[in-house]
Amino acid sequence: MIHISWDNFLAFALISVALWALGAYCAWRDSRKAALTSTIAGIAVFMAFIVGLWISLERPPLRTMGETRLWYAFFLPVAGLAVYSRWRYKWILSFSTLMSIVFICVNIFKPDIHNKTLMPALQSPWFAPHVIVYMFCYAIMGAATLMAIAALLGDKIKIKGKSFDGSLIQHPVNNLVNIGLAFMTLGMLMGALWAKEAWGHYWAWDPKETWAAATWLLYLAYIHIGNAPQGTIPRKKYYLLIVAFLCLQMCWWGINYLPSAQAGSVHTYSIS
Amino acid sequence: MWNKPWTYREGTAIVAGLLVVGAMLQLTVGPIDWNLMAWPVNIIVAMVLTGAVVTGNVMRKRSYMLRFASSRHAAVPVLIVTAVATAIYGVTNMRETLSCWPFVLLYLWMDIIVGLVTCKHLKPSLRNMCITASHAGLFIALTAATLGSADMQRLKMQVNSDQPEWRATDDNDKVHELDLAISLNHFTIDEYPPKLVVIDNETGKTLPTDKPQSLVLEDSVTEGDIMGYHIKTKRLHDYAAQVATKDTINYVAWGYNGATTAALVDVTKGGKTLASGEWVSNGSFMFPYKGLRLNDKHSLVMPEREPKRYASDVTIYTKSGLKENAVIEVNKPYNIEGWKVYQLSYDETMGRWSKTSVLELVKDPWLPCVYTGIGLLIIGAILMFLTAGRKEEDNK
Repeated sequence: MIHISWDNFLAFALISVALWALGAYCAWRDSRKAALTSTIAGIAVFMAFIVGLWISLERPPLRTMGETRLWYAFFLPVAGLAVYSRWRYKWILSFSTLMSIVFICVNIFKPDIHNKTLMPALQSPWFAPHVIVYMFCYAIMGAATLMAIAALLGDKIKIKGKSFDGSLIQHPVNNLVNIGLAFMTLGMLMGALWAKEAWGHYWAWDPKETWAAATWLLYLAYIHIGNAPQGTIPRKKYYLLIVAFLCLQMCWWGINYLPSAQAGSVHTYSIS
Repeated sequence: MWNKPWTYREGTAIVAGLLVVGAMLQLTVGPIDWNLMAWPVNIIVAMVLTGAVVTGNVMRKRSYMLRFASSRHAAVPVLIVTAVATAIYGVTNMRETLSCWPFVLLYLWMDIIVGLVTCKHLKPSLRNMCITASHAGLFIALTAATLGSADMQRLKMQVNSDQPEWRATDDNDKVHELDLAISLNHFTIDEYPPKLVVIDNETGKTLPTDKPQSLVLEDSVTEGDIMGYHIKTKRLHDYAAQVATKDTINYVAWGYNGATTAALVDVTKGGKTLASGEWVSNGSFMFPYKGLRLNDKHSLVMPEREPKRYASDVTIYTKSGLKENAVIEVNKPYNIEGWKVYQLSYDETMGRWSKTSVLELVKDPWLPCVYTGIGLLIIGAILMFLTAGRKEEDNK
């Protein structure tokens, strides 16, 4: 039986990144089929590592920050692929690959404590869907935020000599936020149902829950703001999107460093 | 300002007004006592609120304010300000926030807007279904969860193996006598395999500090390296007793109450033997723990084993004459006569030899209502995912 561990991560990650980079390159060269194939192949290789790790750990790799980064690195190209196949933006695969590399590098150069134990409260069928859905949401929101930043920077970004036209991406950004918010809602509600089974109450205003609520409300505010006229850039809306994403970071890992949360959050597992 | 049509400016002014009113109420009336919402006050308030929202929807043609309340210009400001208020609560983590008037008024205004939007979009189309399901779900869940909280009972019960227990205590240590009694037949803990770590003799911290390492003694693992120390396990007793011989301490296999875990190890560093055939043990309520001093700076110790699963095999008796056997464990509560019984804790000083189990009993009569809301929200989220990208221009 092959035993996959973090020692094998570098090899899998290198192959995946190479395939994703090739896919991104093909997207620029307008070879759509090659771009899709290569990206999917890279995702499959990365997926193989996650599944292997899952089997050898005998639990879903979702507990430590390092393990959730693994999912983030996985879902970014998935989200990129989805956007590329639907809206055909040439640059999105480069974006998602680059972002994924960042998370992979963090895992290689600053790995967490990787151990096997999983406390009883985390041993639940809700665990995997709750975290995976959230990770997918984070990846999508990350992509939407990057697009908004690109639009705000506007002419400062030059691609092949041409300046980037930020006014054309309003609909894709909105679509991404809608999809991300749908996943965020599902993740949050699954968390509530799980909390009822594990801790006796579906909502306890635990610091992580409180920040999740604040984040959710900000994204709700975003989707309730009307569209700007065609050909313009909704600047205030994009600033709100950036603030919402910062709030999301606070919810995801920022609270681990918050004194109020360390005192008694049921959600801080990896820091001891 | 206040010239029609109203915009975000008026929406923000309403929210600001609510905050001022809330602050004044806070100063004069004082914080909200949610216990006053106990049955039947909460059902009356819920009916009044729902009735007001439905009436408001009927009257919308006559009142600009009501039409405005279900517009984005009313929604966005309250969403942003509520998010900020919630984030502030997230930083301070003061429970008092939840009974603070301005905080509650923000959520109430949001709830009313959500209710009005629900009524407004009760029309059969996919997009309206998505909006109705999300908003109705949020309105029902938020209203029921908030008003129902006063009816929720959370009690702790300590059960022992000798006799049935029917008394439980609440958060204020007040004793409640229940209509059901629970006796503990058996309590079990499964533990993760023992592990060895190197600690700093002075601080007691696991090393290396930035990335603590451990040697997990499981299956075939008998040796490994931590901080350059090569550790080899020669023998491992899951259940052991400490036996003092003339000049040394020894461990022998022993499977009774109070047994500890012990490992016999050799430690070398750079070919130099630091310890040969020394015992390391994590101790129990009966035996002290035993570490191994490697040098002036470092020691090898076995931390307490982490519980993998703990469960109570219990018998539950009710006043109505039911007698049921159940195994209750974390994440697997047991339902009986409106109560959910949870595994909460055990006597941690006794560790795996605990003869007591601490259970939590929760009764939340409003749960079906909240779950209806959550169910609608889930349907709304799925519809939102399915319809994303379709409503390109449909945004008035």
